[in-house]
Amino acid sequence: MLAEIAANLSLGLSVAASPEGFLFLVIGAFLGMIVGLFPGFGPAAGIAVLIPMTFGLTPTIAIIMLAGIYYGSMYGGTITSILINTPGESATVASTIDGYPLAQKGRAGPALVMQAIASFFGGTIGVILITALAPSLANFAASFGPSEYFLIIAVGLLMLTTMMGDNKFKGFISALIGFAIGTVGVDVMSGQQRYTFGSAELIGGVYFVAVAIGLFGIGELLHCILNGQHRQPAKRLRVSFRDKEFWPNKQDYYESRWTFWRGSAIGFIAGVLPGSGATLGSIIGYSVEKKVAKDPEKFGKGEMRGLVAPEAANNAASAGAMVPLLSLGIPGSGATAVLLGAFLMWGLQPGPLLIVNDPEFVWGLIASMYLGNMILIAMSIFAIPLFVKFLDIPYVNVVPVIVLLCIIGAYAINASIIETWILVLSGLVGFAMKSYGYSPAATVLALVLGSMAEETFLQTYIISQGTMNLFWQRPVSLVLSIILLTIIIVPIAMTLLKKKDRANVGNA
Amino acid sequence: MIMRRTFTMLAAAAASAVFAMPAVAEDYPSERLTYTIAFGPGGGNDRMSRTVVDILRKYELFDNNIVVENREGGSGAVGFSYVAGKAGDPYRLTSTSGNFIGTPLVADTDWTFADFTPIGLLASDAMLLVVRSDSDFGDVGAFVDAAKAGRVTIAGSGSAGPERVTAALFANAAGIEFEYVPIGSGGELVTALTSGSVDAVVANPSEVSGQLEAGTLKALAFSDTARSTNNPDVPTFMELGYDFSFSLPRGVVMPNDLDPAVQDWWIETLKKVIDTPEWEEYLVKNGMSGNPIWGDEFAAYLEDTSTKYRATLVEIGAIQE
Repeated sequence: MLAEIAANLSLGLSVAASPEGFLFLVIGAFLGMIVGLFPGFGPAAGIAVLIPMTFGLTPTIAIIMLAGIYYGSMYGGTITSILINTPGESATVASTIDGYPLAQKGRAGPALVMQAIASFFGGTIGVILITALAPSLANFAASFGPSEYFLIIAVGLLMLTTMMGDNKFKGFISALIGFAIGTVGVDVMSGQQRYTFGSAELIGGVYFVAVAIGLFGIGELLHCILNGQHRQPAKRLRVSFRDKEFWPNKQDYYESRWTFWRGSAIGFIAGVLPGSGATLGSIIGYSVEKKVAKDPEKFGKGEMRGLVAPEAANNAASAGAMVPLLSLGIPGSGATAVLLGAFLMWGLQPGPLLIVNDPEFVWGLIASMYLGNMILIAMSIFAIPLFVKFLDIPYVNVVPVIVLLCIIGAYAINASIIETWILVLSGLVGFAMKSYGYSPAATVLALVLGSMAEETFLQTYIISQGTMNLFWQRPVSLVLSIILLTIIIVPIAMTLLKKKDRANVGNA
Repeated sequence: MIMRRTFTMLAAAAASAVFAMPAVAEDYPSERLTYTIAFGPGGGNDRMSRTVVDILRKYELFDNNIVVENREGGSGAVGFSYVAGKAGDPYRLTSTSGNFIGTPLVADTDWTFADFTPIGLLASDAMLLVVRSDSDFGDVGAFVDAAKAGRVTIAGSGSAGPERVTAALFANAAGIEFEYVPIGSGGELVTALTSGSVDAVVANPSEVSGQLEAGTLKALAFSDTARSTNNPDVPTFMELGYDFSFSLPRGVVMPNDLDPAVQDWWIETLKKVIDTPEWEEYLVKNGMSGNPIWGDEFAAYLEDTSTKYRATLVEIGAIQE
């Protein structure tokens, strides 16, 4: 077993570490970070746009470069979450909750360093698990049908409550807004259109990226202007590698020593399952971290663990998503679907036989991911002083840049003006949400997960003839149902018991 | 210089007078060509379009520059609307696929297939009825018997897409009833079957070819009029006595109001395109069958496919009569 893995890896390294392979890996990783930096310009769009650049390369080198863009964007995507509270995609929404407060507290440097380390850790653990477990995990992914997906998504939705902030009622309203937006588009069952008003652009539904950029980016911007931040003189942040404040302190490392492991494990498992792996992974990673913490009240106010957990998780998930892609030919996300398209374009036949017929390709790709993560952490840490410098610019000059970035990002999704209007509208809504303490994170994540939950629930409903029997008749579903019920019942039981105890104390 | 140019023009005029050919065919192509792809890079429509353009370039079949652009959005609505709006421009090409027929039926688009000049159907994208290899369904007959005896579930991607049309046409021809389960994308479609959640799926060959090759899934029948060159062992529904066929047009169209000579020029040129080893390789790689038809025949095919599609959408209640 170990000898086999070693042989496979050395075959892969002979491809990935060749001068040509290494060069295009560096180019891919670099482009990925840049792509991640643009809000809205996520990995799927980034790979799609850059596919033509790879024409003329050999298939393996081309895919190594495209995969570099894919996981590289996971490194870059968090930088805007931390610095300007604008997640570039749904997988980095959870990272804003503690990442942005950290930057506001003046700890942008440590936050960015920790996010790079967490990304490296998650990504590398993910590749190690791919190397060791890909074949057996493939069967696990293949055993997931609609009922199992629904239950996993339901767990994710329950976990949303941990990131809604202090006011659960307002958080709940925020999530409902997300569900409502998610109903726009074509009804899954009948094919009839809902709330599209005859517009061809709305048939596919409201794309969450424009909503996310609007709610977070523009909303935050308007809020800062309301607070008069643009009139404040620029802070003179001095950042250099020699500064002590630049690096995370001992406490940061010590407190999150287990967070790295938990986040990576959760993220990887979520990533293996086709669906919205990285998003679910980051939500569940964050909530588990908050649940196991002895001091959950610190979360949401700039807690390092609250950033490390979703970051380790979403990078591990992006590695995990390669498992069904490489071993079954099943794409688990928008970005891996574009990668699959690139496979076909290069004449590779995705499916269970890919690893048998093209071992050099598969192992070359996997080996390149080890190298890629190393390149990315080095690149991130070197670039961080540049990014932190961004906070040095007077806010009044930053405003137009953010507005431009947001508009380009929203427009680039489909090159259509509709997304730009959605952005503007969501910006106003986001401003109101921020001002009155609602949770834009809950809205965006409910939008992403809500329509998936609806679809998979209705599929299950049809398959089990209008009953819900499937949820306990299938073994995997049964296990997931029990987990789901436990998550709901245990906290309720705990509260009741506490009340009883208190009542007893009162009586005595 | 001026002298030479005048001479060329005179020569061209003389030539056209002598052979009595329309001037446009003589000059054509004198400008650069814009090939619009109504979908994103990496998808099926994009792969076909870029293959055609690569062949045009490699064999120098189009004697000018070719610009390729992706205008995606609204399931093809945006890109096709853009090309339809270029009526009279002989330097515009676009590729058709399922949404070319489907989107105008379900959405309020400002174009239909009739707003384009048909050039040719280069390949057709038909569907496979696929089951698990370890299931009890050895052939379509066994599947039909099971459906008559009890209840079968068939999944396909999308609620009102070509997969559902194929499933509905099959059920009508076989006289059976089934529950249709719409599944989002190709990946989840395959796991719905491998996880044992549904009995069969209707899928595009490229979505399941890896699984078929590995033997985890098995194709029972093919919805084209002839067997696919990639899966020659899989019979067509028609061979088995279920009298229907359904496939999606992988063709090339141009805007309306063109000189008929331009249409003829492109028909001749695309005939050369599909006669290359590169095109053969494309068909094999993507699991398509190439039974090309041209011009008016292609127009009739588009009309027929649209009628079948519409009838199924009305039947399932996705659109009103």
